[in-house]
Amino acid sequence: MIDLADPLLYADGDPYAVWRSLRTHSPVHWQPVERPGSPPGLGFWAVTRYPEVDRVLGDHACFTSERGTLLNLLGKGDPAAGRQLAATDPPRHDRMRAPLQRAMGARSARAYAGQIRAGIKDLLRPGATGEPFDLAAAMGRLPLALIGPLLDLPAADWPDLARLTAMCAAEDDPDYQVGGGVADTLARGHRELFAYLADLVRHRARSPGDDLVSVLLGMRFEGARLPPGAVVSNCYSLLLGASVTLPHVPTAAVAELARTGRYADWAARPDLLACGVEEALRWSSPASHFMRHARCPVRLAGVPIAAGDAVVAWLGAANRDPTVFTDPDTFDVRRPPGRHLAFGSGRHYCIGAHLARATLRLVFTELFGTFESVTLLAEPVRVRSTFLAGIKRLPVVGTPAARAGAPC
Amino acid sequence: MMEREVLGVASPYAAPRTDVEATLARLWSAKLGVQPVGIHDDFFELGGDSLLAADLQLDIDTALGVEIPTWTLFLSPTIAELAEAVAEQAGAGRAAVGST
Repeated sequence: MIDLADPLLYADGDPYAVWRSLRTHSPVHWQPVERPGSPPGLGFWAVTRYPEVDRVLGDHACFTSERGTLLNLLGKGDPAAGRQLAATDPPRHDRMRAPLQRAMGARSARAYAGQIRAGIKDLLRPGATGEPFDLAAAMGRLPLALIGPLLDLPAADWPDLARLTAMCAAEDDPDYQVGGGVADTLARGHRELFAYLADLVRHRARSPGDDLVSVLLGMRFEGARLPPGAVVSNCYSLLLGASVTLPHVPTAAVAELARTGRYADWAARPDLLACGVEEALRWSSPASHFMRHARCPVRLAGVPIAAGDAVVAWLGAANRDPTVFTDPDTFDVRRPPGRHLAFGSGRHYCIGAHLARATLRLVFTELFGTFESVTLLAEPVRVRSTFLAGIKRLPVVGTPAARAGAPC
Repeated sequence: MMEREVLGVASPYAAPRTDVEATLARLWSAKLGVQPVGIHDDFFELGGDSLLAADLQLDIDTALGVEIPTWTLFLSPTIAELAEAVAEQAGAGRAAVGST
């Protein structure tokens, strides 16, 4: 029995094989969800082929984002609907997004490149001299090196924020759980993180700066300022969007390159940096799914979807669709870039994509400058989550690169 | 306004005992659309969420003129606990004023 809502599938099973089978035999597949206390008939349409995933994510006229965009909200609705960018449909979404997009566009990662590069060097340090280290744990410290300066968050708070965002994004994983289990972990993570952000927002309201929190506070939207809850909720979304997904791109890529002995091949070719990063994004697809709800009766690949039905688009499955990507289960840094859906599609396309790309280029440049090869010391351990696709433990040892030449 | 009984709140109803508690109950009722609100009721059980909590925070700042630490509302989400935090904060505020 296929259960796409079971977090264990993504930790211990083979989701790629399941998706492969669904793409072929049931590309729009009804997945019942039976949990203690869940209402009868709860479930969602699972969409696994590229064209349908692309459509569900992008066709906001047929599919709304305002009833929850992640599976953990299935059947519950989303309190952030209409108040947080990711949970708001056009045209409201577009009006809310424009000022934020302008502010983020103005913050090129180049401005922070020095800070980010220093952060990356620092997190690779435990293994830089050829000592065994956990690359997944090291990369876990990466996102705050990016989002920290953008939101102007004190570095002393980063470890706590990394822990809280993990509780909110992968509440099913025992490593991130607090006593009381899944629901308590999510509730506690949300409350602590929102309390932190509410204090931050209150403080920034008094002394605004040049950071994105201040931009959100200063924004005029539909003739008024955003209420504090909406500011906090958008900060939460930015923080979560950056912090949980980013580390999994380099971690998954290095795991696969080391496993197949092709790390050195890419490391030796700085000209392949940009297209290799795109391949790493396609390969890892750390945001595994997004949920929508049909606004009206609609057909997807010939399958009738009733108004109100939940539809879950599996980004990782679309990014392995063989009709779009030749030999999709091969990590190929020479693959022509440009079509993967790792950042989503349509109006909700990741608002931080340009910053993520620039950061990832810096990460791989530093990795290749630090290690000429990487060897896996144990099997990777994957995150137990329906949303967050990635590796949480990756013990490796790197061979320090000869630093004689100029850095690439 | 929704009646409190409809929500099946775990705690028995307890009326506000002080002006601060009464003010907080009024702010909660307005934000949550629930009445009456008891001083031991849990904000999240009454239908509150983290976004509403952040909005409510601002209302409390404005109405009472003190800034209580945000975690109070998120992690000890009852009016009785909030009122205690308000009293502490007001005391700290007076001490600070006195020292200048």
